[in-house]
Amino acid sequence: MAICCEASDSTLPLTTGALTIALAGNPNSGKTTIFNALTGMRQKVGNYPGITVERKVGRCRLPEGVDAHIIDLPGAYSLISRSPDEVVAMEVLRGLRPDTPKPDAVIVVVDASNLQRNLYLVSQIIELGTPMVIALNMMDVAMRRGVAILPAELEAELGIPVIPVVGHKREGIAELKAAILKARIAPMPDWPLPQSMREELTVVGGALAIIDSAEGLECEAAGLKRATPQEAAHPNQLRLDRYRAVAERLLVGDRAGDLTAIANRDPVGSVLSSAHERMTQDGMDPMQVEIEAHYRWIELISARCLHDVDELAAMGNEPPSLLSHEPPARKPTVSERVDMVLVHRVWGLLIFALIMGSLFVSIFWLATPIMHAMESAVAWLGHLVTGEMDDGPLKALLSNGVFDGVGAVVVFVPQIAMLFLFLSILEDSGYLARAAFLMDRLLARVGLHGKSFIPLLSSFACAIPGIMATRTIENRRERLATILIAPFMSCSARLPVYLLLIGVFFAQFSAWTRAGIMLGLYGMGIVVAAGCAWIFKKSLLKGAATAFILELPTYKFPQFSQVSRQVVVNTWEFLRRAGTIIFALSMLMWAMAYYPRLPEAQVQKIQATARTNALSAPATSNLLGAAQLEHSFAGRLGHAIEPAIRPLGYDWKIGVGLIGAFAAREVFVSTIAITYAVGDNEDALPDAMRHDTYSARYGPPAGRPIWTPLVAISVLIWFVLAMQCMSTLAVVRRETSGWRWPLFMLVYMNTLAYTLCLLLYQIGSRV
Amino acid sequence: MERQCAPVGRVGTSTYKAVALNDLPVGRAGRVLGILAERELKRRLLEMGFCNNVRVEVVRKAPLGDPIEYRLRGYHLSLRAEQAHCISIRPD
Repeated sequence: MAICCEASDSTLPLTTGALTIALAGNPNSGKTTIFNALTGMRQKVGNYPGITVERKVGRCRLPEGVDAHIIDLPGAYSLISRSPDEVVAMEVLRGLRPDTPKPDAVIVVVDASNLQRNLYLVSQIIELGTPMVIALNMMDVAMRRGVAILPAELEAELGIPVIPVVGHKREGIAELKAAILKARIAPMPDWPLPQSMREELTVVGGALAIIDSAEGLECEAAGLKRATPQEAAHPNQLRLDRYRAVAERLLVGDRAGDLTAIANRDPVGSVLSSAHERMTQDGMDPMQVEIEAHYRWIELISARCLHDVDELAAMGNEPPSLLSHEPPARKPTVSERVDMVLVHRVWGLLIFALIMGSLFVSIFWLATPIMHAMESAVAWLGHLVTGEMDDGPLKALLSNGVFDGVGAVVVFVPQIAMLFLFLSILEDSGYLARAAFLMDRLLARVGLHGKSFIPLLSSFACAIPGIMATRTIENRRERLATILIAPFMSCSARLPVYLLLIGVFFAQFSAWTRAGIMLGLYGMGIVVAAGCAWIFKKSLLKGAATAFILELPTYKFPQFSQVSRQVVVNTWEFLRRAGTIIFALSMLMWAMAYYPRLPEAQVQKIQATARTNALSAPATSNLLGAAQLEHSFAGRLGHAIEPAIRPLGYDWKIGVGLIGAFAAREVFVSTIAITYAVGDNEDALPDAMRHDTYSARYGPPAGRPIWTPLVAISVLIWFVLAMQCMSTLAVVRRETSGWRWPLFMLVYMNTLAYTLCLLLYQIGSRV
Repeated sequence: MERQCAPVGRVGTSTYKAVALNDLPVGRAGRVLGILAERELKRRLLEMGFCNNVRVEVVRKAPLGDPIEYRLRGYHLSLRAEQAHCISIRPD
């Protein structure tokens, strides 16, 4: 294989100041494990500005006292495709992002058990002309499959350092760090292009050379500005190769960065289109020709470097392009054998149901005792702090505002952490892809993706981790559709509301019926979600069906350190985003319920009435509490919205509850308890509710009992459908990089809830 | 977008019948003849390794019939039937 430029000896410039090193590689190549091994705890995770692609940068100490910033690029199969992750990887590598310096060197993580496809990305990075090192990872997996690669051979083929690494055992990391300093620009391979394309490239390359010498051609993209020592010695030949490299990029349709400007320049544009035309007339697609040439080069290399562990490679006389590098009678790998069960048409589905079911159940059951314990702990702490204080605004602020607010947030943490734990294990082990494989048919019908399943399932515990989990869905439309319907999966915060209302108003029915109603509510959420997803598919999110290409990676044992890191990071993110909002809104709700204070005269009146009726002290304070709530801003707001919600069968007390539910849905129950003057004694709530009647203020049906089964159902359906969780909206804002979609969610879901409850109540009350 | 496979062709002196990848039965294998799809999808498939003459094996179909798991170049990936339909195969 001819090499048209000699290997450049330019090692990295040891400038003062840290090096910028990019870490690239296919998804599932073990890149993250290597990143963690290189940077330890010194990582910063954020987002690239303006988009939802995650940005991970860490610091690393290299030998010889050199510091490096390592950028963990998003996993990419190619630098040319349009998925946001791959666009970012390409832009960072080419130095096109203003927020990230162009890397001084690239480490490409190559999965040894999957060499050919991984080398495709390598071939693209070689074309960028950046100094490179290859980290040959998962050598152990390859060995187990009977495939051996000799790193020295690969290094000889590619002309860049190749360091064997076993990421999860942290082997080879020290050698990798040393090798970074010896990163080299790879010699540009002579891609086996057909003769006609080579001729076209010479034509276009020549045109570029002429323009460059005449007018100057700025092309950072193919390193035209950077002359290696060899090029300085033989300027004409080697620069022509660089022009041909740019010509190749242009001819296959790459327009990233400054290539657009070049393609648009006068002579270049017409030269390109005539070259294109000639090739099309010959029945050749430049894009296809180029990719196939890269793969032919890859096949030649892998034929030379891959050896059967049992017998060294006897490649025989088969022409290289027909070569598949495994021996014909191949034992199935461990992963493949596991898949025979896990993806089996019967067993696979059963096991899937079992795994998902136990995830679901454990979130509710396992987490509950921990949640109770945490609630008690916060309450105890609250009493400790405020016990000795005098009654007054400060005590109320602390115990009811601050500590209750903290309690409202803290109560989520066990469930959320457990959920993130399961999600992380599912993803790292490789099972997530199988789950997506099993479920895709069902989900694709309504415009979702197989990978939507687990985020939606997670949303039954809390929509926030569910929405965060949609990051695994590469396609933007399918991801957005999943996010938009996730809140319809009734989250655990709605459970207290469901339990209260079903328990009170359907007490006369058997336990089975009540369970059935509960299930019906969950089912309704699912049906509405599917319906909305389908409508979005047909209208808002309409577009060409996107390429569903799902790699099924080798099964891996999830690493404890990686999993625990993800759980901690994600739970912290939840606390930071959702927790702050829940806390802030709780405080706001507290203030709205506390102020303005009930006038002293009224307090006296109520106390007098209580004394006449010989009520106990707790009962008196409950009465006062109820009166205070009605008098407060919250109460007044409830009265203010009563005309709007009366058509749904709600009165102002329910209105206040709904307002409280904006902080967190389960606040509905505690708020209702206060309005009905039962305070903390929620067992007395059902009776109080049953005896309540509509006030005359807003017309009929004054004097009639409010809480009929119909109204109960109306409230239940409201909770199934309405978007009340402000922290969910905040997370959606972050995940979709803008306010457009959260606002849309707020409007469409609440309109749907209002309309359905309205219809239900109006029709129901006339029947 | 017309998605048809040339029914018959020649390699050397033998004739063969081309088949769409999604029509290849489970457990069978074949070599890629070509891809007929819109540009982005075609690029994606080529980049994932579905080049001319690559050997592709049908591993299994999902329980509901779609998507379909394939093995090529030593790794596994799954495609929806409508995308697999774009790839024409010479069965082994």
